[in-house]
Amino acid sequence: MATNACVPRLARPEPRSIGWSLLLTLPILVWSLLMFFHPGGATGRQSQIAAGLTALFMTALFFMMMRTGSTYRWRRWFFVSLGLLFPVGFIYNIVLARGTMGIPMEEMIAGRTPFCFIPIPLLILPAALTRTLVFPGTIADTQHGIAAMVGLWLALTLVLGRGWCSYACFFGGIEEGVAAIPARPRIRKIDPRWRYGPWAVLLAMVLLSLALFEPAYCMWLCPFKAVSEYVAARNTIGLVQNGIFILLFAGLVIALPFLTKKRTQCSFFCPFGAFQSIFNKISVFEVKIDKERCKPCQVCQNVCPNLSLSKESIAHGEVLMSCMKCGACVDACPRQAVVWHIKGTEVAWKPERARLMFLYAAWAVAIMFGGSIIAQGIATILHFIL
Amino acid sequence: MKLRPILGYTAAGATVLAAMLTPFLLYGFFANRFTALPLQVDEVYSGGPKVRAVQKGAYSIDIHRPVHPHFLQSEKPFVELDWTPVSALPQHVSDMVDIDGNGQPDVRVSFDVPSDPKAPMRVDVEPLNPRYQAMHNVGKERFSRLIARVDNTILVRVPLANP
Repeated sequence: MATNACVPRLARPEPRSIGWSLLLTLPILVWSLLMFFHPGGATGRQSQIAAGLTALFMTALFFMMMRTGSTYRWRRWFFVSLGLLFPVGFIYNIVLARGTMGIPMEEMIAGRTPFCFIPIPLLILPAALTRTLVFPGTIADTQHGIAAMVGLWLALTLVLGRGWCSYACFFGGIEEGVAAIPARPRIRKIDPRWRYGPWAVLLAMVLLSLALFEPAYCMWLCPFKAVSEYVAARNTIGLVQNGIFILLFAGLVIALPFLTKKRTQCSFFCPFGAFQSIFNKISVFEVKIDKERCKPCQVCQNVCPNLSLSKESIAHGEVLMSCMKCGACVDACPRQAVVWHIKGTEVAWKPERARLMFLYAAWAVAIMFGGSIIAQGIATILHFIL
Repeated sequence: MKLRPILGYTAAGATVLAAMLTPFLLYGFFANRFTALPLQVDEVYSGGPKVRAVQKGAYSIDIHRPVHPHFLQSEKPFVELDWTPVSALPQHVSDMVDIDGNGQPDVRVSFDVPSDPKAPMRVDVEPLNPRYQAMHNVGKERFSRLIARVDNTILVRVPLANP
């Protein structure tokens, strides 16, 4: 998959003027202030400073997206910050509440296990067949309740489709950060059949969750238990489970992203990512390839962090349904043949307008959800510093 | 302009609107709709609904409906008994409990109540009815066989004998 350096590079569009970029950023500034300083929002010195810093950070990144016309590298700053700061705030809060990252049985019986979005696809079949949620949490619409996360997921999925994995997932930023460290990948050749990995894991976990009546992925395979919380090891099985979490985290979230410069957990393993791909079909925003401009150089295929482009898909002018809308391929294309697109319109017809509309929607929910997590992480750090 | 682009831009505008409405309307709307669904958390975790309470002086014992795990679930059938409030319990509890409400005691449950809420607990259950299994010096083995302190309640889960 070597890059063809002979493809003539078209001149990049001139950066937007500072004034015009500021004007386009103004709605996001107002939105940030609304999200972080609404009545009943941040209280306490550390929280207010954290809210201010986060609002400034998110607004500055959006400004740079407007100014430079580039999406991926600025979004990556947000996403990596989200991935790194989520564990900081989360672990601090649960250790404060219960003294350990391990969930004791008492907390599960009391329904106080915080619910994350990853088990959502695993709950559907048992719920549909028996009206039972196989998760030791609470349904009520409290901060960590199942209803709260399901409500948020539904709303954000309407907006983002699988863009969730680039603008809302609070785990993916860790591997994206690790993948950004090396200048070049050590492993370049990746068998495209690995793309089916997440679907296989999804199918296996859905069936296992139905058969065993437990969130099988959370119990056995989630690499991010290593940086959030896990079932407290009471016996050998518990120790094996925690060993698996650590090994998967070390392999899929640290080692392989470093070696491949890909988001390997998302690309090869994450069942939620596969599930979320389905919702790309209903999302109005997508990435397309202008076949008239494209001289298949495979730069887009090489930079895609998620193996969402293949020779065949490029020939068809499309990305695969696993596209996370991160913008890496759009930014990297030397001929601006990879474009943001609104379904129903002609390809490459005002792609910047499509990008703007997508970014306003995506950044608005990123500020609301990811921004609040970043602010919580910063507040936790400030708590130790100030 | 053709119809498809008009529909595309309309949907794109609606998506931007949906993003703006998410924190104020959509998120709460979906969460409330989900809460209203006739769903419940698996009884292996929640212990099932309470069916009766037996008053024992200053404290009471709540008796839950027996829980029968699903298909391949690794837990055994059990019944949960709750002693509450913990503050009213003596240092050592030894109660005969009529679980099925037929006037005859079914199990004798004995445990110590430590003053430290985080101290590990152990329970002995002597079955007086063959429907229930004995437990000797059991802590938190599994969801169907344990003693645990949850807030102001001490709960004991007694496994049912195989039918």
